[in-house]
Amino acid sequence: MYPPDVVALQNVSLKIEPGEFVSIVGQSGAGKTTMAKLLIADERPSTGRIMVGGWDITRIPSRDIPQLRRQIGVVFQDYKLLSQKTVYENVAFALEVAGESGKRIREIVPQVLKIVGLEAQKDRFPKQLSGGEKQRVVIARSLVHAPKVLLADEPTGNLDTLNTRDIMDLLLKINQFGTTIVLVTHNREVVNALRRRVITISNGNIVSDVAQGKYILSV
Amino acid sequence: MITLWRIFKYSWKNVFRNAWLGLATVFVFMMALLSVNVLLGVNVLLENTIQALEQKIDVTVTFKKATPVEVINQARFFLTSLPQVAGIKVITAEEALANFKARHADRDPKVISALNELSGNPLGAQLVIKAKDVSDYPFLLQTIQNPQYASFIQDRTYDDHQLAIAWIQDAGRKARIFGAILVAIFAFFGALIAFNAIRVAVYTQREEITIMRLVGASSFFIRGPFILEGIWLALFSFILSFALLIGVSAWLDNVLPPLFDSVRVGSFLLTFFREQWPTIVFVEGVGMFGLVALVSWAAVGKYIKR
Repeated sequence: MYPPDVVALQNVSLKIEPGEFVSIVGQSGAGKTTMAKLLIADERPSTGRIMVGGWDITRIPSRDIPQLRRQIGVVFQDYKLLSQKTVYENVAFALEVAGESGKRIREIVPQVLKIVGLEAQKDRFPKQLSGGEKQRVVIARSLVHAPKVLLADEPTGNLDTLNTRDIMDLLLKINQFGTTIVLVTHNREVVNALRRRVITISNGNIVSDVAQGKYILSV
Repeated sequence: MITLWRIFKYSWKNVFRNAWLGLATVFVFMMALLSVNVLLGVNVLLENTIQALEQKIDVTVTFKKATPVEVINQARFFLTSLPQVAGIKVITAEEALANFKARHADRDPKVISALNELSGNPLGAQLVIKAKDVSDYPFLLQTIQNPQYASFIQDRTYDDHQLAIAWIQDAGRKARIFGAILVAIFAFFGALIAFNAIRVAVYTQREEITIMRLVGASSFFIRGPFILEGIWLALFSFILSFALLIGVSAWLDNVLPPLFDSVRVGSFLLTFFREQWPTIVFVEGVGMFGLVALVSWAAVGKYIKR
């Protein structure tokens, strides 16, 4: 929630094509996270229109938000794992809330845990995992609904170089399967290494949108 | 159906995984219930004691020695016909003398020897009147003072007991009002304590609630386990508080001497809770579970962001 006289984003107009890997970059407070929050209806725009896969979510009713969030996989910097649940339960939870049957959950969860390489850690609780492992759990959880879009908000913010590379490799692998990746980051090395579309935000405005861009340091 | 089952399952998992917090909440609930129930028991016990005291009150009208038996019988029939009278006992002059002697035999030998020196029985017959309600005594004594009997009456004990009767009446009335107010206050504070215990329990899990919402859980799916968890904790505290209450009552039964030669505190409380448990369980259960469900619903809602 922002004070009334604060403008987090303005004159933002962009379209992300299916299967794209887009990095949204900018300094702290530029408006990156606000853009991510708008995509999952965690914030509402005061004006304008937001479409996700043909669904107008600009004024989405509260009761429809769970449905939207089951269609967009979200990865957070601070993981946002349920500390009282095991790795398996955290991943399964995203399916349970959608009313999936137990049989289906028992099929899907081991598959996604295998993709992220956490089969051996399935009975551990989040506090028993490293940062990189926690982020893998979050990615696994975001994949269970086979989303068309995966939104990763600073997914490597709390990770060391080695884990950062592993997580980025995982996101690229997921993108290769056809999932659109929206990466919100201020990590220059990560963005420059990707050589994908880069949208740069500064003071709530899009200042550049380059197909094979780099992190613009001076902005 | 599968969603309801999962809500049920998660509520139990939450109970076990938040065991320490749950234990603290159960303890708080238990204290709230115990304070209300103990007060309820004490209040009923006090009322019963007042009643026992009231039942011990009677008024004795002593007739003059020369009063004809017909007058005494007439007075007895007259009083028996009054709706305020619970019972009347006639003590003949001979019985009154025997009672007097028995009462003073050991304590006052001089009184007995003085009595023996008298020729004949100096005592008159007596009517022992027991009213249905303590407040009826003044009316009954006023009634018997009518000209038909007044000249035959030598003495009456009411004047001696008047202050004690008034005190018991007053104490009984005040005890009932004070007890009801105290039970209401404790019930209110009990509810307040339970209310805050739930809010604290939910507050400690606010992060989890936000995460559940972010991964697509509906409000119902998030709230359900919290509400059920609260109800399980309330149920545990309910069972524990009643078990403790019954255990302590049984222990008191063995430890405390009877009050007024008749009322055994422990047995009385046990009987009271055994007879009244459906009402107590219903009122406290509906109150407690309703409160838990409402507070959980509202407290969780505070952290469900959109």
